[in-house]
Amino acid sequence: MSTTVTQDMSFLHLITSASVLVQLVMLILILISLSSWWFIFRKLFVIRYEIKKTDDFEDIFWRGVDLNALHQRIISSRYESGSLERIFAAGFGEFTKHPAGSDLDAVMESTRRAMRATYQREMDYLESHLSFLATVGSVSPYVGLFGTVWGIMNSFRSLSSVTQATIAHVAPGIAEALIATAMGLFAAIPAVVAYNRYASRTDQLATRFESFMEELSNVLQRRAAE
Amino acid sequence: MSSSDPRNSPHSEPKSLLAGVLAVVVHLLFIALLVFGVSWKDHPPEGMMVDIWTELPKPVPEPVKTQAPPKQPKPVPEPVKPEPEPPKPEPIKPEPPKPEPPKPEPPKPEPVKPEPQKAAVAAPVKKPDIAMKQKPEPVKENKPDPEEQKKKEQEKIKEQEKQKELEKKKELEKKKELEKQKELEKQKELEKQKELEKQQEIAKQKEAEKQKALEKQKELQKQKEKELAAQRQREQEAKAQREAEAQRAAQQAAARNQVTSEIGKYKALILAKIRSRIVMPPDLPGNPVAEFSVTLLPGGDILDVRLSKSSGHPAFDSAVERAIFLSKPLPLPPDPMLFNEFRNLNITVHYRE
Repeated sequence: MSTTVTQDMSFLHLITSASVLVQLVMLILILISLSSWWFIFRKLFVIRYEIKKTDDFEDIFWRGVDLNALHQRIISSRYESGSLERIFAAGFGEFTKHPAGSDLDAVMESTRRAMRATYQREMDYLESHLSFLATVGSVSPYVGLFGTVWGIMNSFRSLSSVTQATIAHVAPGIAEALIATAMGLFAAIPAVVAYNRYASRTDQLATRFESFMEELSNVLQRRAAE
Repeated sequence: MSSSDPRNSPHSEPKSLLAGVLAVVVHLLFIALLVFGVSWKDHPPEGMMVDIWTELPKPVPEPVKTQAPPKQPKPVPEPVKPEPEPPKPEPIKPEPPKPEPPKPEPPKPEPVKPEPQKAAVAAPVKKPDIAMKQKPEPVKENKPDPEEQKKKEQEKIKEQEKQKELEKKKELEKKKELEKQKELEKQKELEKQKELEKQQEIAKQKEAEKQKALEKQKELQKQKEKELAAQRQREQEAKAQREAEAQRAAQQAAARNQVTSEIGKYKALILAKIRSRIVMPPDLPGNPVAEFSVTLLPGGDILDVRLSKSSGHPAFDSAVERAIFLSKPLPLPPDPMLFNEFRNLNITVHYRE
């Protein structure tokens, strides 16, 4: 009586007694979840860092610092610079490379191209791994569901050999199969939340970068005209 | 521009190791929550189990303890018997009469003490016996003493001291003999007691065996009764089954009869309807018979009519065929289960009824 009423339903026992395929699905989900959380934290730090750097640089830039000195400082500390600083460095470097008497439109065009190229590269860097988070968010529930369906199939198949079918025959199999779904959801939910949050943050950064590029080109054009 | 590329590609990503550590920590937290959460839910049923099992085993050891003590005293008296025997021969050799009874006494209470601990029933029986033996001893010893004194006085007066000594020796010998006899008697009494105890034990054992045998017989009788009752039940069940089967068979037969009568009725109705629509060709010789196989649809519609056996008169055949088509829908029983009987109908029409 006592052994049949309370089967060992501890979490570890459920995992170890699952079928090989379900265990494989669980392993894949654990790896996916680990890497997705790794990227979540990495992107969290990166985006926070970029926002802080952008705030600082805009603050410094609009305070009316000498642009040459700013450019020199950015080039000397290249690894500690933020995305917006690099965009500025690329644009201002391209602007200063042209001789003084050259055509203003051509100079501004090449400056804008340089800034656009750096902007693209920076956005690519900021948005890297976000697609991975999106994939995890959309796929891992299905992977977990696959493991669950497989486990439930097996538990029902074992039910066919029993003359008297009770819920106690199926319950452990279903419970251990449902762990796969739980793992998939555990991997998916944070990934989706993080993806949405980081995507909106990078969009905000992108608009800030673009507006800065426009303003910088105006500033440079005025400076060239003087 | 080429100089700006290396600046952009090695982005100094902050704290990527810390991110990995944090990810692992999050998972460990989650797993710990799951394990403790699930096992925490497991505990209440385990507690229930423990309660059930601690209650049950208690009554089990208690009867064992109560049964054990009666078993122990039986082997105990056997080792006790050899113990008193060796001390008795030892006190016999030292002669002094008065110390003799006390010497055997100390060894006796020693074996007696363990007995009340193990079995209270055997000890009180032995104690009065020992007291009885001890009391007569001094009485018998006192009696010879005055006799000796009288004899000694007479002998002192009449006879010489040698005779007295001889008599004393004889008396001493007599005393010894008496004492020996008493001891022998005591031993005999002890042996008798032991034998009685043995007999009592044997009797008890026999009674127990008888009781066991009676219980076994009762159990056997109960089992037999149970078996008989089970057999009766089986027989009754078998009878009930047979009756039920018979009833079913009767019902089925009745249903079949009903079905066949229903089928026959509707076949007659179909034939009558067809017959009513036949425009009989006049003046045919004899009684020609035309047979048609008609395929019906549910609802009475006619799917196909084939002439399976011609009557020999094409006019009659065509007249019957036209009548069959005219008489649709054919009357069918309302029960759709019976339609299978009408799906392929064989209709035989006689020229004259």
